Amino acid sequence: MPPTRSGLARRQYGVAALFTAPFFLLFFAFTLAPIGYGGWLSLHREQTSGLGLGGEPEQVFVGLDNFTKALTDPRFLGSFVTVGLYCLVYIPIMIGIALLLALLLDSAYARAKRFFQLALYLPNIVPGLIAAMIWTYLYTPGLSPIIDALEQVGVPFNLGSDAGAIGAVANLTTWMHTGYNVIIFFAALQAVPREVIEASTVDGAGQIRIAWSVKAPMIRGAVVLAVLFTVIGAMQLFTEPFIVRDAATTIDQAWTPSLYIYQLTKAYDMGGAAAASLILTVVLAVASFLVTRFSKKGAKL
Amino acid sequence: MKTRSMKAAATLAGAMVAMALVATGCSKGADTPADKPTVTEITFWSWLRASQEVTDAFNKTHTDVQVKFEQIPGGAEGYGKLTNAVKAGNAPDVATVEYAMLPDMLAQGNLQDISGDITDLVKSKYPAPIQELVTLGGKTWTVPLDAGAMVMFYRKDLFEQHKIAVPKTWDEFQAAAEAVKKADAKSRITDWNQTDSANFVSLNWQAGAKWFGIQGDSWKVTLDSPESQKVAGYWQGLITKDLVTNVPAEEVQKRKAAGQVWTQLGGAWAAGGLKAGLPDQSGKWASAPLPSWDANPASAMVGGSSFGVSKTSKKKEAALKFITWMTTTPEGIQARLASGASSTLPAIPELADVAAKNFDTKFFGGQDIYAVAKAALPTIKTGWVWGPGMRGVFDGIGEQFKLVQTGKQQLPAVYAPVQTKTIEDLKGRGINAS
Repeated sequence: MPPTRSGLARRQYGVAALFTAPFFLLFFAFTLAPIGYGGWLSLHREQTSGLGLGGEPEQVFVGLDNFTKALTDPRFLGSFVTVGLYCLVYIPIMIGIALLLALLLDSAYARAKRFFQLALYLPNIVPGLIAAMIWTYLYTPGLSPIIDALEQVGVPFNLGSDAGAIGAVANLTTWMHTGYNVIIFFAALQAVPREVIEASTVDGAGQIRIAWSVKAPMIRGAVVLAVLFTVIGAMQLFTEPFIVRDAATTIDQAWTPSLYIYQLTKAYDMGGAAAASLILTVVLAVASFLVTRFSKKGAKL
Repeated sequence: MKTRSMKAAATLAGAMVAMALVATGCSKGADTPADKPTVTEITFWSWLRASQEVTDAFNKTHTDVQVKFEQIPGGAEGYGKLTNAVKAGNAPDVATVEYAMLPDMLAQGNLQDISGDITDLVKSKYPAPIQELVTLGGKTWTVPLDAGAMVMFYRKDLFEQHKIAVPKTWDEFQAAAEAVKKADAKSRITDWNQTDSANFVSLNWQAGAKWFGIQGDSWKVTLDSPESQKVAGYWQGLITKDLVTNVPAEEVQKRKAAGQVWTQLGGAWAAGGLKAGLPDQSGKWASAPLPSWDANPASAMVGGSSFGVSKTSKKKEAALKFITWMTTTPEGIQARLASGASSTLPAIPELADVAAKNFDTKFFGGQDIYAVAKAALPTIKTGWVWGPGMRGVFDGIGEQFKLVQTGKQQLPAVYAPVQTKTIEDLKGRGINAS
């Protein structure tokens, strides 16, 4: 008996639901539920009483108190300034280098493309923690051949300054992430129609001209995507400064929003940490929205 | 066609449910009382040297209780891990708690009240000052292992070679610091630790500061005091005059290895680390009392650990059996010392002799370093109380050190901000403090 139209649709829905259920189950268990719990935590504070000896802390409802506390804490606000400065230094340099390398790889003169793709990608395979530890050694005077060499020629690199700290972390993350973006950009460049490039050549454009005026604008989408992911990643900066702070003394416990949140959990302030996390989430959402919005506008011009 | 795919999907779903049931069922299955001799298995978290050896020795000699040891990081990380584990309900049965952190762990509700089982034991075996460290709010919470009496380890060979007298007071220490620098421009008398504040906190204790006190139902937090100021002023002087190494920890280790750091201040337990870290300098080190502020010898405690039963443990009896074996029996102490890695000074006086016998003194040229540590015990300044929030205090002072290192701050100014922050944090947690 052939199934009726509506029966078929219903069955298809059933099968579809069955296949999508695992995703939603996991999404609920590992994304929505923790956010919900975070929301609940952010409205509460752990309280003991008296001398605090032996009593189990209780969760007390405090309304939006944790949020006002975070938003009026100069250290929390300062952490956004630090990350903002860091983004200003890091993103143009990293994206710029990645774009330049991708264009070089894509140029007609490039040799050993496979090798360079792999070599450039290698630092990205190193776990962030390990990379940060290696670089911390490279930043420590007396241990680092680089710092010692710089001092020999009279260019002391001062990690103890605020600018030095941002530079140190930006250098480390640039080293780590440039290769990844080179791959993304290179893949996008491969998709640029060869006819367009041939036409430009026929029109008399040189390699540099083609790279700058034809190829680069045509992979704008990939660049915007890379910037978006980089901004989101940069705002959540944690591992690198957490490790490098052993050598860079100006990196304090609230240097980035994530470090600030971590430091609150160490002070047993789960409510404050949850509130700060939610604020960071909102800021991230707004930042991503702005990046996409801004780049769309740019694209129309 | 469609019916078949539906059936397949249903079978798949059924299989998944079945698998989930099997997965949850597994953990239950293990508890069946099939084995005749009931062996209680407990877990033990620590970062103390030779913990594995102690656990192995216990397991070899006991049939009713078997211990599974898990290494955890020391310091703030380790205590955070314990706190989270208690919340999550998967904490170990036996936890290591330093005396300084006990009030903090109690404020988090991490430990069980085991007064009924151990108060008599602690009262009968331990000297009064040690009892005080584990007795809070009229209850005994943990069983003490060691006394971290602070001493001064020094390079005997270098001091003798350059005819510098071993300093007995802090004035002499400064004079010796100048002499060391004069003897070798690359050497300094000791290292100023840029990040770890534990030694510095205890030097304040030695000077007679009392950072925490209980007044009725409230904590009195007094980091900033004339005694503390004296200590900070003294060390700031040494730093400013470049009489102590002021470099990152990795670099300090390198200089120690090169013989450019001539003394190390630390708890009695620090001898083990010294031995492990500088094997080439065996026979060249010795131990001496900590320099004091006046002619009277004075010391403080730095570190020092005890063991408690976590709040969520359901195996208190077994846990206590293991804890008391580790801390109060010669076998337990022997197991800890036999590995050669630990130089713990047991808090029970008789056991200190057991430890002294088991410690290989070759590194210290045969000197009985336990005699020095034992002599320091009665000179520990009385009246010091650890309070809740010490994790924040250690951390906060460490952060302030970074400002000192960059020259943005002088040492005497480190106390006030940490004191304010500590009081604020405690109040935020509902604890009375001023």
